[in-house]
Amino acid sequence: MSSLTTSRRGAGRTAPSSPAGRRLTTSGAAPSSPRRTRDNLTGWGFAAPFLAFFLVFLVWPILYGLFMSLTGKSLTGANDSLIGLANYAEALADADMWRSLGNTLYFTVISTVPLVLVALVMAALLNVGLPAQWLWRLSYFAPYLLASTVVSLFFTWMYNPQLGLINDSLSKIGLPKVAWLNDPNVAMWAIVIATLWWTVGFNFLLYLAAMQNIPHQHYEAASLDGAGAWRQFFSITLPQLAPTTVMIVLLQILASLKIFDQVYQMTAGGPSGSTRPVVQYIFETGFTGYRLGYSAAVSYIFFGLIVIVSVMQFFVTRRRSA
Amino acid sequence: MKQFDSLAGKQLNRRQLLAGSAVLGGMLAAAGLTGCGGSANAAVQDIAFWHLLSGGDGIKMQAMISKANQGNPGFTVHPTVLAWGPPYYTKLAMASAGGRPPELAIMHASRVPGYAPGGLIDPWDMSLLAEHGVTPESFAPRIWDKSQQNGRVFSIALDSHPFVMFYNTDVAAKAGVLSANGQLQDVSSPREFLGMAREMQKVTKAHGLSFGYLGSGSQMWRLFYTLYKQHGVDMELTPGQPMQADRDAAVESLEFMASLFDDTVAAKSGDISTGIAEFARGSSGMLFSGVWELPTLKKAGLPVDAATIPTLYGTPASYADSHSFVLPRQLNDDDEKRRSVYKFVSDVLKGSLSWAEAGHIPAYQPIVKSQAYRELTPQIHYANAADIITYDPESWFSGSGSDWQTYFAENVQNVLLGRDKAADGWDAFVRRTNTLLFRPNPV
Repeated sequence: MSSLTTSRRGAGRTAPSSPAGRRLTTSGAAPSSPRRTRDNLTGWGFAAPFLAFFLVFLVWPILYGLFMSLTGKSLTGANDSLIGLANYAEALADADMWRSLGNTLYFTVISTVPLVLVALVMAALLNVGLPAQWLWRLSYFAPYLLASTVVSLFFTWMYNPQLGLINDSLSKIGLPKVAWLNDPNVAMWAIVIATLWWTVGFNFLLYLAAMQNIPHQHYEAASLDGAGAWRQFFSITLPQLAPTTVMIVLLQILASLKIFDQVYQMTAGGPSGSTRPVVQYIFETGFTGYRLGYSAAVSYIFFGLIVIVSVMQFFVTRRRSA
Repeated sequence: MKQFDSLAGKQLNRRQLLAGSAVLGGMLAAAGLTGCGGSANAAVQDIAFWHLLSGGDGIKMQAMISKANQGNPGFTVHPTVLAWGPPYYTKLAMASAGGRPPELAIMHASRVPGYAPGGLIDPWDMSLLAEHGVTPESFAPRIWDKSQQNGRVFSIALDSHPFVMFYNTDVAAKAGVLSANGQLQDVSSPREFLGMAREMQKVTKAHGLSFGYLGSGSQMWRLFYTLYKQHGVDMELTPGQPMQADRDAAVESLEFMASLFDDTVAAKSGDISTGIAEFARGSSGMLFSGVWELPTLKKAGLPVDAATIPTLYGTPASYADSHSFVLPRQLNDDDEKRRSVYKFVSDVLKGSLSWAEAGHIPAYQPIVKSQAYRELTPQIHYANAADIITYDPESWFSGSGSDWQTYFAENVQNVLLGRDKAADGWDAFVRRTNTLLFRPNPV
C-alpha cells in the first residue's frame, strides 16, 4: 500500500524520468496487427483464471443478488416469485433496518477518527528516532495479525463485568465498575476500543512508511530557518502526509462500514440491539430468518450507501489534487 | 523472470510451469472427487446424522451412536456435530434447501414449526416405527402432541429438557429450608420464594440464587415463559394477526424477575457462565438452569439436588424443549436407508437411559418407567416436569436459539437491570413481535 502512495506521489513530481520503461516500449518491434492479436490473446490467457473466478464468484453473485432482491425468495424454497420492489418498500419502512444502518454509520464515525489519529501519533512518536525501532514497529503492528475471533475473546474476558481485568483494575483504584458490553450506552465504545487496539497497526504502518519517505532536506532547510519541532510537524510532515491521510481515511471508512466480526462475537448485536450492524441484520433476516430476498434488498440498500460514500470521496480527492 | 529461472531451472520456462501446475491442480481435484464417493462400493450403508450436542451430552450421544453402530452391522451412522443455535439451524435449512441434507438430524421440537410447512423435513411413517416397537403410546402426552404438525408426525422426541431449579443441599440444610424428606420445602408465592432465597443468602454470605442472564435471550425467555405460563394463560402467534398474550401476567412475571436481582437474592449482573460458576463454588444456594448442566454440577463435587421451578402463580408449568429426530427431505428417496434410519432411532430411544444420565428426561416411556431410571437422582426429582412442560408458542420465528429470543432480550434486559419499567419492556417486545407477524411468512 505504501508503495502505491509513494509511486503516485513520485509520478506527480518527477514525471518524465522513467528511462527503463520508455526504452522498452520504443525499442520493441513495430506493432504489426497479427502480432498484436497474439499478444492480446496471450494477455487474456493470463487473465483468464482470475477472470473466471471474478465472474463466477463476484459478478454472478452480485447480479443474482440483485435479481433475488426483487423476489420473495426464502431459504426454505417457499414463494420465490417476482414481487417487484416490495422488499425495498418494506425495508425503507423497517425501523430495525434503519437502526442497524445507523449503528454501522455511528461505528464508522467513532472508529475512523481514533484509528487515523492514533495511528498518526504512534507513527510520529516512532519517527523521532526511538532506539529499537523494530521492537516498536512489531509491537504496534502485532495485534493486526490476530484473528478477529482471538481479539474478541481477549476483550470479552477483559470486559467481563465481574472477573474482567479492566473492571478489576478500575475497582482497585477506587473507580466504579463499568458494564462494558452490557450497557447500551457503552457497548459500542467498548467495541471501538477493541477494534482500535486490533487494527490501528495497519494505518500506523502506512503513516510510518509515508513519513520515512519525506526528504530530509525539507527538515534541514526548516531548522536552518529556525523552525521548531512542532512547526516542522505541522508545516512539513502533515502537508506531506496529506495524500496518505486521504487514502487511510478512505480505506478506514470502507473497513469500518464492513463491521461485523467483533460485534457478532462480543455482543451478538446486543445489548438491546445497540451494537447490531447492518451486515448482521442482513445475515439475520436472510439466513436465520429464512428471508433471502428481503435480506438481498437490504444489502443493496447498504451497497447504495457505500457507493454514495465512495463517490463523495472521489470528488473530494479529485478537487484536492486538481 | 530471473526468479523463475533460479527457481525452476533452465529447461522449464514459465509457460511449462503454468501448464504443469494446472495439470497438478486438475489431478488434485480429480482425487478429491473420487474421494467423496470412495466408500460407496461397500455393502455397509452410510447414514449421515447431524446434531448440535457438543457438551457433556455430546459425549453421551457419541456413545449411544457407537453402541447402535455395533449392534447393526448393516449400517454405520456418521455424526456431524455443529455449534448450537443459529449456526446449526442455518446450515440444516441450507443443506435441506440445497438438496444435500443428512439422512437424519436432531432438531429442537420448538423449531419444527419453522421447518415442516416449507417441506424441509418429511413426516415419519409410524407403521415403520411400530415394527421396532415404538408407538404413540411410547411417549408422554405433551411430548407426543408436540411431535405433530397438522396431524402428521414430523419429529420423534428423544427427550424433554426443562428449565429447573438446582439447589445445594448443604446450604439449604443450614438455612433450615429442607423438609423432612431431605428435599427443598415447597413454596407457592413469590414472597415465600424470596424469603427462602434470603435465608440461603445468610448462609452463603454472597447470594441466595444464581441466575446468569446478561446477553442471553434464551436464559431470560426460559425463566420468563415458565413464570408466565404459571399464571395459567396462553400466548398465540398467528401470522397476520397481533400477538395474543396476557399483558398483566407478563408484566407481573417480569417485575418478579427484576426483583430477584437486588444483589442479595441474586447478582445484579451476570452472564450464564458466571451464574453457573457462582453456584458451583457454593456461593449461592439455588441455580435456575437447564437440566443439561447436571453433569457439570456433579463434576464440581457439589451436594446438589434438583426440582422443577416452584409454582409461584398457581398453575404448575415448566419451560422445556425436546431434542427430536427429524428426517430432512431427500432428493432421492432410498427406502433401504430410511429403514436403517428407523432402526437406528428406535435403538437410540431404547438406550436412552444413558441419555438420562446427562440430565435430560427420556421421552421414551418404557425407560422412564424402568427401575433403573427411578434410581437416578436427582433426575427422578424433576421427572414430573414431563407432565407440566410447556413449549414455545408456535410460529416460524420462535423456538430455541431463535432470533425471537434475542429480540426478547433486547427489550427486556433493561427491565431486569432496573433501567426500564416492566410494562414498557413488554410492550416494546409485543411491538417487535407484531412486526414479525405482519411480515410475509417465508415458510
